[in-house]
Amino acid sequence: MSSNAEVNKPAVRLEHVSKRIGRKTIIDDLSFDIYSGEVFGFLGPNGAGKTTTIRMIVGLMRMTRGNIYIQGHSIKGDFKKAIRQVGAIVENPEMYKFLTGYQNLVHYARMIPGISKDRIMEVVKLVELQDRIHEKVKRYSLGMRQRLGVAQALLHHPSVLILDEPTNGLDPQGIHDLRNYMHKLSREENVAVIVSSHLLAEMQLMCDRIGILQKGKLIGVETVSEFIEKGAAKVRIQVDDSRLAAQILKDKLAIDAEAPDETTIEVPVDHEKIPVVIDTLVISKIKIYSVRTVAKSLEDRFLEVTGGKSVE
Amino acid sequence: MSNFFGLLQNENMKIYRRSSAKVMIIIMLGLILAAGLIIKFSGDQPKDDPHWKQTLLQENKELNKQMASVKGNKQATDYFKKSIAINEYRVNHNLKPEQGETLWKFVEDAAGNLILVISIFTIIVVSTSIASEFDTGTIKLLLIRPIYRTQILLSKYISALLFTVVCLITLFIASWLLGGILFGFGGASEAHLVYDNGTVYQSSWTLAIWKDYLLNCVSLFMMVTFAGLIAAAFRNGGLAIGLSIFTLMASSIVVTLLQKFDWVKYVLFANTDLTQYTTGTPLREEMTLGFSLAVLAVYYVIFVLIGWAFYTRRDIKA
Repeated sequence: MSSNAEVNKPAVRLEHVSKRIGRKTIIDDLSFDIYSGEVFGFLGPNGAGKTTTIRMIVGLMRMTRGNIYIQGHSIKGDFKKAIRQVGAIVENPEMYKFLTGYQNLVHYARMIPGISKDRIMEVVKLVELQDRIHEKVKRYSLGMRQRLGVAQALLHHPSVLILDEPTNGLDPQGIHDLRNYMHKLSREENVAVIVSSHLLAEMQLMCDRIGILQKGKLIGVETVSEFIEKGAAKVRIQVDDSRLAAQILKDKLAIDAEAPDETTIEVPVDHEKIPVVIDTLVISKIKIYSVRTVAKSLEDRFLEVTGGKSVE
Repeated sequence: MSNFFGLLQNENMKIYRRSSAKVMIIIMLGLILAAGLIIKFSGDQPKDDPHWKQTLLQENKELNKQMASVKGNKQATDYFKKSIAINEYRVNHNLKPEQGETLWKFVEDAAGNLILVISIFTIIVVSTSIASEFDTGTIKLLLIRPIYRTQILLSKYISALLFTVVCLITLFIASWLLGGILFGFGGASEAHLVYDNGTVYQSSWTLAIWKDYLLNCVSLFMMVTFAGLIAAAFRNGGLAIGLSIFTLMASSIVVTLLQKFDWVKYVLFANTDLTQYTTGTPLREEMTLGFSLAVLAVYYVIFVLIGWAFYTRRDIKA
């Protein structure tokens, strides 16, 4: 995320958004901002409310309380202006199967003024469907449908792009291309991109910031690097005597370090406490050859935050 | 407004690109052809009568006698008066009555039955158009455009009614051509005689046929709107199609059963047949054309409001 994004007006703003269906609170007081030029990831176990939140952002579902603004326009009060800014795929990119890919795009192009035939062919080339675009969607593979879905979302140069599970059905090359394209859109055209995905490794590569949802509540919004570092990291230290070092840490700091071999200890410790660990070892005359933090993957951290619940 | 034209183009594309629309048109043409062939080869064409003027005058004498015998029955008297007046007009203006089936008679015969078929087709089209997008999930991509749901629903409704118009034009052209081929294009110039308040005049067959179409379409119009309401409210095409066709079929039985109650006049189907005020007799004496139109309008507004409210307000979870 570029640093000036913070001072910009948010591209999407959620203000105390709640959704109740019957007595059940699906979404509980959600507030956060998404800025132009960033890729924002929505993370959460199934049923956490990711899709419901996305549906409220695009106006498919009403909110019980609160408001959502897209480029300053309320999706409730000024639907047309707000939604004009948005291109989206909500869950699967369901297209009209009895029409050709091209007819599908013409269909969506007719709904927003100012989309020329050239623009349609431009997005077709972009998603590399030019060879098959005049075939019926019925005959498309899942990956091709996904790409057609991306094409319809980009037709009208949206300033906010919302992709729900965008890598579903894409092959590794397709995922790679989509990721590059999303980065290009956010960096060069200053588009705010919102993705939700259960592929955590994917999110780590794609997103600048992530918001974690659990049971309809926002647990936190952090940059990807913050998110990973903040958690209790592991530090791997090369020492002369690992058993002695582990004993010292246990006695003096009450930390259970592991000693996988003679010269290595692995210390589970918060980021800010690493200097204390090193100080303690140095004072106790342990020789230190190297100190390395073992970065946790987003997945480790995610499981930690959401209480080890399965993601899928 | 150009935006709305685009929506109509979209909905039309979605109606006619489905194979079901083609199948419907083919079924309709097949039915017209079958009807034509059955009429052509089942009944014998009567012989030409060279002394038709005498025959008509003879017939009028008979009719006058019969009319005298049913004195007091207004309906029957009117019928005889009409027949006699038309026969007299033919004799006076040297207009020989055509024997057997003619081109225009075939067009007229085809209208009554095929408009029922067109009703069913349009019910299927409107229900599919509104509800299928929820089944396939395409509704999500449809409603995230800068267009109000009201406009989307309206474009679907109007496109379905345009489908009816397309079917009617096809019906008219196909039955006219087939009528010409089977019964001779000579019949195209046949005079259409209209009896109105004691006087007889010639008018155009085309006009008469389209008036017939229009009157027959009242129940089509109401049932299509009803199907649209069910499809919009329950988002279930099968339910909308089934319920509407069932209601359409059961309507005449229900009205007949309820005929003796005076509140039957407020039932929708007691009012959909407007020919009861032009050529027939009203279901109940106190009913008038204005009354029926008012009842139809009330039902129509209720259907539209309920369908619209559900379509525009409910969350999309598909």
